[in-house]
Amino acid sequence: MHLNPLIMKRVYIYCLMATGLFLLTSCMKDWLDREPRTILSDEQVWNDPKQIVALLANFYDRIPAESGLTDVNNEGADGRLFQWRNLANYDEGMWSGQSNEDGRNNITSYGYDSWYLWNYTYIRDINLALENIEKYGLKLSEASKKQYSAELRFLRALNYFNLVKRLGGVPLVTKQLVYDYSGNVENLQQPRAKESDVYDFIASEVDAIKDLIGNDGSTTRANKYTALALKSRAMLYAGSLAKYNGLMAAPITTAGGEVGIPASMATGYYQKALDASKEIINSGPYTLYKNNPDLGENFYEAVTKKANNREVIFVKDFLLPTRKHVFSYDNIARGIREDNLGSSSVVPSLNLVEAYEYKDGTNGALKTRTADNTDYIYYNSVADIFTNKDARLYGTVIYPGTSFKSLPVSIQAGVLVWNAGRNAYDIVEGSDLGTTYTDGKLLTGTSGPHRSIQEVSNTGFYLRKFIDANDKTSTRGVQSDVWWVWFRLGEIYLNAGEAAFELGLTGDALLYINTLRERAGFGPNSLTTLTIDRIRNERRVELAFEDHRLWDLKRWRTADKVWNGSTSSPDAMIYALYPYRVIRPGDAARDGKYVFVKMVAPRFRAPRFFRLGNYYTAINQSVLNNNPKIVKNPFH
Amino acid sequence: MIRLISSYVITLLLLLMVNGCKKDNYEKPSSILTGKVVYDKEAVGLRSNGVQLELWQHGFELFTKIPVYVAQDGTFSASLFNGTYKLVRLPGNGPWVNNTDSIDVTVNGNTVVEVPVQPYFVIKNATISKSGTTVTGTCSIGKIANGGTLESVTLFVGKTNIVDAVNNLGSVAVNGSDITDINAPLTVSLTIPGSLSGQSFFFARVSVKTAGVAEHIYSQPIKIE
Repeated sequence: MHLNPLIMKRVYIYCLMATGLFLLTSCMKDWLDREPRTILSDEQVWNDPKQIVALLANFYDRIPAESGLTDVNNEGADGRLFQWRNLANYDEGMWSGQSNEDGRNNITSYGYDSWYLWNYTYIRDINLALENIEKYGLKLSEASKKQYSAELRFLRALNYFNLVKRLGGVPLVTKQLVYDYSGNVENLQQPRAKESDVYDFIASEVDAIKDLIGNDGSTTRANKYTALALKSRAMLYAGSLAKYNGLMAAPITTAGGEVGIPASMATGYYQKALDASKEIINSGPYTLYKNNPDLGENFYEAVTKKANNREVIFVKDFLLPTRKHVFSYDNIARGIREDNLGSSSVVPSLNLVEAYEYKDGTNGALKTRTADNTDYIYYNSVADIFTNKDARLYGTVIYPGTSFKSLPVSIQAGVLVWNAGRNAYDIVEGSDLGTTYTDGKLLTGTSGPHRSIQEVSNTGFYLRKFIDANDKTSTRGVQSDVWWVWFRLGEIYLNAGEAAFELGLTGDALLYINTLRERAGFGPNSLTTLTIDRIRNERRVELAFEDHRLWDLKRWRTADKVWNGSTSSPDAMIYALYPYRVIRPGDAARDGKYVFVKMVAPRFRAPRFFRLGNYYTAINQSVLNNNPKIVKNPFH
Repeated sequence: MIRLISSYVITLLLLLMVNGCKKDNYEKPSSILTGKVVYDKEAVGLRSNGVQLELWQHGFELFTKIPVYVAQDGTFSASLFNGTYKLVRLPGNGPWVNNTDSIDVTVNGNTVVEVPVQPYFVIKNATISKSGTTVTGTCSIGKIANGGTLESVTLFVGKTNIVDAVNNLGSVAVNGSDITDINAPLTVSLTIPGSLSGQSFFFARVSVKTAGVAEHIYSQPIKIE
């Protein structure tokens, strides 16, 4: 065979190139032993501050709240809980949204598994991070290693607080548990710690980390004062649990102390709560929000506004356009909604509205009937009945005669037409919203209230707190980035006031409570005497819809009395306030005026019923099956 | 031809679907366990669906309780498979002394079981009558077990014969501290609430509550005409 010399030459060149390539590449010794491009090694993660912060972000995101602003419902191993709908389950409000969630108005009794949480995967993730940062983080500076560890320990302490307030004492796992394949898992089965031990653990962790944690000035990552705020709240809970459990006719306890803190420990806990609160109030960089001279708007902004807000201590923040939620879409007042669906899901109850006192310090019950109960009280405008109420009512609730986003919210249930023959009023209500009566004036407002239409307030009130005041934020296209407040200075004042009062320091307690009341429009030193009921009411109105009410009633051991499941109880039922325009020609004192009718909210079915067995949530049977050392909670 | 085959296939599939449903489904439980919560051979009056008993069955992978709610006349029932069960009186759940001993129950066909309990207090000889706008209940209280303090004696009225601390239209309570001699007959009276005044009949019950126990022990409902 004869080959073309030109081709021969080319073959020769190719051979040369291939050999050259081979020689070159064979120099790379570990060519087959490369770093994976899609998996990060422990050394890479724990030496890179960016990766650690990314991991921390995941841990912050998984902090559970019984109610929140988004729609996350996983009380199992993962433990992500942030379900805004739960705001409708207690006595602050009820469900007025889509009728497929009407079960929230018909909770015949809270299940023993309500408020369950067993997120030990979260605790394991944190324990693992704490151990790995020590083991692998060799290139990290000592200072940042300490700071990250402190932050992780804060998150773990916060999570144990979230567990203990639901379940009582839980196993205190602080190291990762590793199975040794011996066939015996007994060394991994930890018994429940005493309830008091878990609270003591939280206090000692906070004390150990507060000066290492850094993050000064941050509201989304924990700093020294965030840790102290946790201590302030946790110690207050422990103190009141010790005191009020002991005052029950039959205290709820277990033999091993997993449930039930001895009454003798109350003073110590209250003292710690007061000390932690004082440290935040006196040396923290926080001040009560007082930027708006309109006190009602000011209170709304204190919780909801982000700019120049020095009141919030710790929040779960959202940021448009990507980190957002549909809370405003679901809960804005019906008449001013910007989307074609949604709105009005959780609406405040009359019970809550009446808890706000009048500015002269008198009881907040609204005056709808004359003193001898023979006739209505006639008001010139639909807003007049709310004159001189605590400014926090305006900041929390949209009530008749107020506006939101500068748009008036039209709230009127119907008209009362005088029937001379019957010598009584005929009630006329519109079958639809925004209707006009035969006299050409308003019949039913564009925001209701209406007895049966879904996504209209059933109580006559709408939520203002946590609703976004910015344009188009109640649409599903834009959505809202209002933050959720875990801790703010207002609560710390209340913690300090309650702890001081329980310690017998009524003078100090008055100082804290009066400061907070002054911001709400009461005069300086509006209270001169104090009772525990007054403090509890302050807490109810200041912290409404901020995930406090349930836990407060639990720790005061009043939940089974307030929510006693009786239809005749004024606290267990949810009440509504329906405004009507009066049509009574020839009676100038009454015609065209407004009257108000109090009633049980029409869509509300079953009274709230909290049983003794609800004070501590039942532990899942699967957990008990897996770990025979865990004892059950009482009554289950 | 193709059309013929495909129609056969469809018929076959349909047949398979119809029969397939039957094949791998379990029989539903057919045995019924009924029973009563008793003290001294008498059924104990309770709150409707207030007290829960638990049934447990060992030997299966799924180990979880079967809750059994007790009706207001002290009876309960459950549909079960034949087998042996443990019946547990939940501590602190009913108005009686805690007893954590389980009761062995063998279910074979329809089975009847009695669950004995030891109440702290019982209501005896309850009579309730109406005169004018007042309902008056009279009863005597028997102290059965030590360890409980008498919290209150309450008279409940309601429209239906399900009357208890949760389902009622009116109630009045006498505090335990106001009862000096618990052996003497006790009288509780209540003005008939407006929601019942127009009714031709209504129901009433008397109950006794032990401090620290959520549930009361009730008399049987009495119809008042």
